Amino acid sequence: MKRSIMISSLAAIVVVVALSLFLATRHPVLGATEAPSPLLGKAAPQLSGTKLGGGTWSLKSELGHVVVVNFWASWCGPCRVEAPELSTFAWQERNKGVDLVGVVFNDSLSAAAAFAAQYGSLYPSVIDPGGVIANRYGVTSPPTTFVINAKGVVEATLLGPVGAKQLEGVVAHVKATS
Amino acid sequence: MTLTWLGRVCLYVSFVGTLGGIIEQVRALRQHRTSRAIRWAALALFGIVAAVGVMEFALITHNFSLAYVAENNATFTPLLYSITGMWSALEGSLLLWVLLQSVITFGVLYYYRRDRGDAVVGWATTVLFGIAAFFTLLMMGPADPFLHNAALVHQGAGPNALLQDNPLVAAHPPFLYLGFVGFSVPFAFAIAMLLTGRVQDRWPLEQRRWTVLAWGSLSLGIVLGAWWSYQVLGWGGFWGWDPVENAALLPWLTATAYIHSVIVQDRRGLFRVWNLSLAIATFALTILGTFFTRSGVLVSVHAFSSSTLGPLLIGLFFVVVISGAGLLAWRGDRLRAPVGVDHPLSREGLFVANNILFVGFAIVVLLGTVFPLLYQAVNGTQVTVGTPYFASVAAPVSILLLVLMAIAPLVSWRRADARVLWTRTRVSAWAATLTIAVLLIVGIRRPVELAAIFLAVLVAGAALRTLRGALLAAIRRGSWRSVARAPATGGMIVHLGVVILAVGIVTSTTYVTRTEVTLATGQSTIIDGQLIGFSGFRNVSDALRSATQLRVSVDGHRLLPAVTTYNGRNGQTVGTPAIDSNLTRDVYVTFEAVGGNGSTSGAQVRNNLPAGSVVLGVTVEPLLAWLWVGGLIIGLGSALSFFRRRYNDEVTT
Amino acid sequence: MKVLRSFALWCVALLAVVVFSIALRPSGSGALARTQHLETLVRCPACVDLSVAVSNATSAIAVRHEIATKVRQGQSDNQILTSLESVYGTSILLSPPASGLGVLLWIVPLLVVVLLIVSALRLARRR
Repeated sequence: MKRSIMISSLAAIVVVVALSLFLATRHPVLGATEAPSPLLGKAAPQLSGTKLGGGTWSLKSELGHVVVVNFWASWCGPCRVEAPELSTFAWQERNKGVDLVGVVFNDSLSAAAAFAAQYGSLYPSVIDPGGVIANRYGVTSPPTTFVINAKGVVEATLLGPVGAKQLEGVVAHVKATS
Repeated sequence: MTLTWLGRVCLYVSFVGTLGGIIEQVRALRQHRTSRAIRWAALALFGIVAAVGVMEFALITHNFSLAYVAENNATFTPLLYSITGMWSALEGSLLLWVLLQSVITFGVLYYYRRDRGDAVVGWATTVLFGIAAFFTLLMMGPADPFLHNAALVHQGAGPNALLQDNPLVAAHPPFLYLGFVGFSVPFAFAIAMLLTGRVQDRWPLEQRRWTVLAWGSLSLGIVLGAWWSYQVLGWGGFWGWDPVENAALLPWLTATAYIHSVIVQDRRGLFRVWNLSLAIATFALTILGTFFTRSGVLVSVHAFSSSTLGPLLIGLFFVVVISGAGLLAWRGDRLRAPVGVDHPLSREGLFVANNILFVGFAIVVLLGTVFPLLYQAVNGTQVTVGTPYFASVAAPVSILLLVLMAIAPLVSWRRADARVLWTRTRVSAWAATLTIAVLLIVGIRRPVELAAIFLAVLVAGAALRTLRGALLAAIRRGSWRSVARAPATGGMIVHLGVVILAVGIVTSTTYVTRTEVTLATGQSTIIDGQLIGFSGFRNVSDALRSATQLRVSVDGHRLLPAVTTYNGRNGQTVGTPAIDSNLTRDVYVTFEAVGGNGSTSGAQVRNNLPAGSVVLGVTVEPLLAWLWVGGLIIGLGSALSFFRRRYNDEVTT
Repeated sequence: MKVLRSFALWCVALLAVVVFSIALRPSGSGALARTQHLETLVRCPACVDLSVAVSNATSAIAVRHEIATKVRQGQSDNQILTSLESVYGTSILLSPPASGLGVLLWIVPLLVVVLLIVSALRLARRR
């Protein structure tokens, strides 16, 4: 009678309180999938070009460092979620022999520059006119991240938005095995 | 700067209107006098209409002094997409929400203006004012659509490419939001009925009337959304069990349970407490749905960008459920019906089964949607819950629901009579069996398909039989209007729409074929009985976009699948599929790749293919168009159901 | 009696049709059918919730090739899915594994249905 309504109402209240507290404390889900791209274990394709703010950047001159290459675009939603994480990572690793470079994927110069300015990118990004670099790396949808070891060999490919912690783990693994 | 302040002032006016409405209603209720809240509702409506006007004006004139316009509009954005730009992103979508909420609040007050003194109307409209106030506050605070753009920009970013290449962007959100906002009315009435203790008389049916309006809108909104995704996203599918899609489905499920369950309440006075719970749950799920869409907590192609609104929306969800559950615990016992269900095998019993199926399915969908979050919190790693899981739960539920639809309209109240039931279903049973036999002979042999069609014929039979009854009664009475107003007419038409939709879904997913074909210029091939030919490239370029189109012919019809790059700061390259559709099959063609060494189109390049050849993705789906036809019929049926009369009226006529 | 006879007659007809449809149903055990079924269970690595069966992303095509190769080699469904899981992580499967927390996904629906049926029966028995 009255008790069964009381019990079900109380049960509903408990479930809803738990659910609300749980959902209110969630952060946006960040997770990239490690994928076996055909580049794994091979020498990283040539990557050089003009940076967004001016000047040039070349992968060859980074030999001896672990290089993380991130393909992004201003119109890509997950890239927006990922950008602050990448800046955090770049700042943390700046004196530890790890370099982070972005490559602008299929985007206009003004949009890319605005994106980089908005997210205060603490790492350089190379523009890729004609999508030549993207084609070499086989990138079809951003965000895609490659981790290249100190000898210039591609050791990991990550599809999707990557968080700072996940990237730290992957880079540590690459350092340990190379 | 002026537009920012103008827009904000309009929002403040609207907020004052809602506050004034709450205060006026509460005072009128305490002083037992007729309320003048309709004037405050008019003020709130005026405020939000003016705010919408300011935003639309800014969008249409490409005024980039508003940050929102700079983010979602460009000087070359066509008029239609400038107008729809209002709901392309989070802050503007709230404008649409509050607009509809204010229209509904005013509408409810106007519709019941002769009952202004009634406490139920008073409390219900107080709740409606409160909801409008909350969402207006969101826009006055964290989600300000009129934020000033300090930088002087001459060009805006333009809308997201996927939101400006199909006119359905003008239809899906308004219907969807009308559905969501509409569910606040049965919720408000439920709270009012609980507070005043009056669950009888006309109020449950009045509550049902508004739920049907919201349900019909939401159904149309969901079907339009599926149609839009189908035309634009490029994989030939229409539903992905994506978190945002599930968010719209959850309130729909409980609302469907409610619409059916309240028939029993109207006829026999049962299920009062249960129906109140369903009305509250439906609105709570609506708020939970907006949380999923706007908090960024779950990844989805349909979600808005993440924002600080998450905790606020969860707060509202919490308040809604706690107040509803609390009121039910306090008052529920007093409202219980003095009788129970006589026999499980009766129409009432089948409605109980119906409730169990819909609510159970809603709980499972909610669990599946939230599960990745739970898993990550416990185990730290990612997991996906996708179509295989949801489909394996949806399939048995759908079969059981079809069985219910086939027999419930023909089963007697109080106690089922097997003999009577057989005489009523005999014709459709034979028709269904013969249909399957014919299909077997003709070569259609997949068990899933046969089962679906068998049940579809049974359901259609039950619906047509009921409609025939209403028609005969109308002829006897000499009144055509009574057909439309008969209790079951709208509902039976909706059932017919549902089976057409169901047959479309089952057939298109069971018999879908996907192929990739490489064609040189001038070449054709036959895929699945369709003649596909490629005759050349066509470049289109205007202020809005530049596209490389392929001249394709399917069965003699010209199609132009393309890869399109939209100009503007959000310059995005997207694939534009082309569809040849008729009532027997849909042929869905996408531009996958181009051969040769390089291309300016933005399409993938495959160097192993000769230049001038293209790779097309061809998906053939039989009976896919039946989904949209079914959806339309559901919309029409629910419009009719809005005007349904009460069972008691039927007895006295 | 007449009603019972006509019902029985229909039942026989239905039974005949059901038997025929089971006998005539297309066999789903070929390698192609297995491959297609497995493709619907694996997520495209670059997408959010599309399966490799429907996505045409490069990574999806690569996974489709892998599945086809493994089916030809004679691996069982379970072996194929487990090997993909070890390469890409658990999130590559569109349906979580039934072990560990994933058990909830199958138990909770059953519990919910049982709970609802029990409360409905109690409602029916009251008064």
